[in-house]
Amino acid sequence: MDFYLGLLQIIGVHTLLGLSAYCVLLTGQVSLAQAGFFAIGAYVAGMLTVLAAWPLVLALAVSAIAGGAMACAVGFPALRVKGLMLVVATIAFGEAVRLFFFNFDYQVARGDIRIGPHGGEGFRQIRYFPEHGWTTLDVALFIWTAVALVMAALWWMDRSRSGAVLRAVGEDEIAAQSSGINITAVKVTAMTIGGVIAGLGGGIFAHYTTHIEHVQFGVVLATFAIAYPILGGLSNVFGTLLAVIFIQGFLLEGLRFLGDWRNLLFGGLIVLAMNLRPRGLLDAGSTIALKRLFFKTKE
Amino acid sequence: MDLLIDTVQSIADGVLFGATYALLGIGFTLVFGVMHKLNLSYAAASIGAAYASLLILAGIKAPPPLVFLLPAICGGLIGGMVYLIAFRFIPLANPLATLMSTVGLLLLIDEIIVHTTAGVPLAYPALFSDVIIQAGPFNLRGDLMFVFLLGCLCMVLLLLLLYRTKLGLATRAVSQQPTAAELCGISIGRVNGLTFVITGVVGGIAGAMTGAAIGMLSPLLSLPLTVKGLIVTVIGGLGSIPGAIVAGLLVGGLENLFQFFRGVSERDLYVMLLLFVFLVFCPGGLFAPSAGRD
Amino acid sequence: MLKIFAAVAASLAVMAASAIGTPASAQDRTVKITGFGAKSGVVRVFGVNSEAALKAAAEEINKAGGVTLGDGAKAKLTIEFLDDRCNAEEGISVVRRIASTDAFVAVGPTCSNVAESLFGILQKKVGDASDTGLQFPIIADVAAKGGLAKISEWSFRNVPSEFEMYKSLFAWLKTQHPTLKTIYGGVEKDFAHSNATFGVMKAQAEANGLQVVGQSEWLLADTTFSTQIREMKRANPDIVAISAHPFTTCGALKEMERQGVKPKLLIGLTSSSSIETLQGCAKQAEGIIIPTSFAPVTPEAQKAAEQVAKFGGSADLHSAAAYEIVYILKDVIESQKIMAKPDTVAADRVKMREGLAALKETKGLLGKVGRTSDREAIKPFLYVHAKDGSWQVLYKPAS
Repeated sequence: MDFYLGLLQIIGVHTLLGLSAYCVLLTGQVSLAQAGFFAIGAYVAGMLTVLAAWPLVLALAVSAIAGGAMACAVGFPALRVKGLMLVVATIAFGEAVRLFFFNFDYQVARGDIRIGPHGGEGFRQIRYFPEHGWTTLDVALFIWTAVALVMAALWWMDRSRSGAVLRAVGEDEIAAQSSGINITAVKVTAMTIGGVIAGLGGGIFAHYTTHIEHVQFGVVLATFAIAYPILGGLSNVFGTLLAVIFIQGFLLEGLRFLGDWRNLLFGGLIVLAMNLRPRGLLDAGSTIALKRLFFKTKE
Repeated sequence: MDLLIDTVQSIADGVLFGATYALLGIGFTLVFGVMHKLNLSYAAASIGAAYASLLILAGIKAPPPLVFLLPAICGGLIGGMVYLIAFRFIPLANPLATLMSTVGLLLLIDEIIVHTTAGVPLAYPALFSDVIIQAGPFNLRGDLMFVFLLGCLCMVLLLLLLYRTKLGLATRAVSQQPTAAELCGISIGRVNGLTFVITGVVGGIAGAMTGAAIGMLSPLLSLPLTVKGLIVTVIGGLGSIPGAIVAGLLVGGLENLFQFFRGVSERDLYVMLLLFVFLVFCPGGLFAPSAGRD
Repeated sequence: MLKIFAAVAASLAVMAASAIGTPASAQDRTVKITGFGAKSGVVRVFGVNSEAALKAAAEEINKAGGVTLGDGAKAKLTIEFLDDRCNAEEGISVVRRIASTDAFVAVGPTCSNVAESLFGILQKKVGDASDTGLQFPIIADVAAKGGLAKISEWSFRNVPSEFEMYKSLFAWLKTQHPTLKTIYGGVEKDFAHSNATFGVMKAQAEANGLQVVGQSEWLLADTTFSTQIREMKRANPDIVAISAHPFTTCGALKEMERQGVKPKLLIGLTSSSSIETLQGCAKQAEGIIIPTSFAPVTPEAQKAAEQVAKFGGSADLHSAAAYEIVYILKDVIESQKIMAKPDTVAADRVKMREGLAALKETKGLLGKVGRTSDREAIKPFLYVHAKDGSWQVLYKPAS
């Protein structure tokens, strides 16, 4: 049972990571900076609970704000460029954040040991959950409450005018601009929301893995962040969730019984999925089909 | 005086090694120019081609020039396969889907390499590795010089191919106006496929050059080289071959310069920050072909 | 769409089936030991070697009759090995998977960053009811970063102490080469293990009267070393100590050859005393001295190396630790009278932990292995050097 709850935790946190990229992707931008915001959230939340002994929820709130603030600050200059330029600019930013934490040393003596981030050796013993008596179930429920809130907020936003504005910018910038939308404001807002979600996800990540170090927040994690929404489809938030389940639940854990073949299939099945469903696993067509299936009476 | 000599030497070493970055940049930029798509599996495929040639070389005793010919052939084959697997059947209007499929392919190629070699670094044969050219107080590595010259030769051949042959004309036509090119009787699918084969050949040579310059091959290389290749492509200006060449040498030189002055822990931090600032304030790159292109 | 759901559902079913495991029948008792580590990515070779070593040791034990369980029955050992991709989240997932079966111990992981996270989710102090960490003993075979086992009382290691090794090596150098006065370091900066070990080397060099004249740094995936080696050349040291894994060790050694840096003595990182370094740069590595906790010098070690090779791995200081661990586990199973029945799982885990913690000494392939109160090992070691394309024993210190 513990195993499935643990897997649920992982899926929850990766859903947050994916959703942070989802917001930015809606405006048609591919950002590989999400791992950077995730790292900022992780270090901020970890330092607050371990060094300052803050309660978790408060620490996570601050980590989310820190992620959002950083995203906003980066968004203004970065979103002047788009397409491949943005991809590379955000890789550069994400790597700069990672390398900052590689050089970041802030240790405090506590008794006979020193705690806190220690440069390349990482930040050990972020044990808020076990120390405060949280069981695996508690943690999973906590994470999924956060995920549900974020998904509901994004779902609601998607339904409202703001969602339409985001998508309008994503579909055709020039058309959106000529209908009076301030595209820079829209993009920076999307980036900031993405940063908030990534910061929150990173904060939780630091606490359930108990140890963070710079290598975890590299280009690979950033690629995974955009992989979830793209693989899942951008028609709604459940696509991202489905893709996280597909990658973390099916490709990584579900195929474990295949042994060595699992690693080979991992990349191969992603390629296959994109060939079969180029608009994502849960694209607009299948969303409509599913709705018909479940809400037959209403139509 | 020592400082000056060291600075020049650092830059020279970096620029020579930068030839491999330049070749990778050319591959990225060609695909981007023709299809307006990003092929993230490119660097991995290039290293893969070098590995494949090692496998073949282990079977037969081949003379040294084959060391660079074989990876080129393997690279061409892999390039063609990359096109078939990750691009051919995905609608053109879907850039995100091909982005993802090439990420999948990057992971797949890496993992195939890891499974055939257990991830162990393999020695790669280098030509002229025992030649050191002494120029005054400076040392220039013979093998890097060779790699550098070979890289230049490839670039010249590639430019000739693009500007002096019918295939090159068709490629450029497709990159500028796909619809018009199709109306003139050019098969877009064939041109795209051939572009991949050509970039694959270039990539195979780049992979072999990297292996020869380091003296070893490891799957560790594919991710850093992907990032370096992308950086070079963007700094040089998307779709610009001369831009990619200049940017490759520039990135190689700058990297070594930062390392010399700031040490290795901070080297990449400064390279990345510089890149970020450069992109934001000079989004067209060094040799932007035309404004407003995505 | 439905097809994908069906596929996911099917895989979940398979997961469930594999997680529950097959109950051992009464006549034919088996004890499953689960190892885990990296079997994909650049560190795959570690996982392959560990798996082979575990299987090799298990086969030997089974041939000799198996292990005696608490109720007097004889059981055979079976080995399962799971891949964690050197990823902390996946490592946690793998251990939770193992902990949800009848297993009472797990052997792994390969990567120190995975070990950090894993040991962090374990209960810190035994019997601390307010700590909800996982109560499951883990014994590490490879993860080499210093001081990991002190994170939790449920975590153990059978990993050589690099501190002891380099302390002894530098003391020995002082007696053997009293004329060598200066040392220069090369360190792979962004890898926790090599970085930490360099600190050890440096401190020991200074303690033994060597003058550290500088250090060069590079990163795990770096490809050019010209700047760093030029600094080294200028310092003109008697000794060069390189704390890096095979890929960059070879890169740096090749650059040293090109620039004509010929120190009188070369020292390397424990992890580089493997076949990888020789495959990459046998010529340049000639003469490099590395302390290691494994070399086929005793009859047991030779036999183990052959046995591991039979299972498709190679015995080195890391996989030899995995090999020894199987014997340690066998001894603890027998001394603690572990039952290995589905209804005694919780008790077996506690017994296993207590048994491991109570060990003062274990049998190693090179001789007796001491255990510390920090749940670490003090392993006998020797110095090897690269000679004519192979690792040969240079000196065996009396332990």
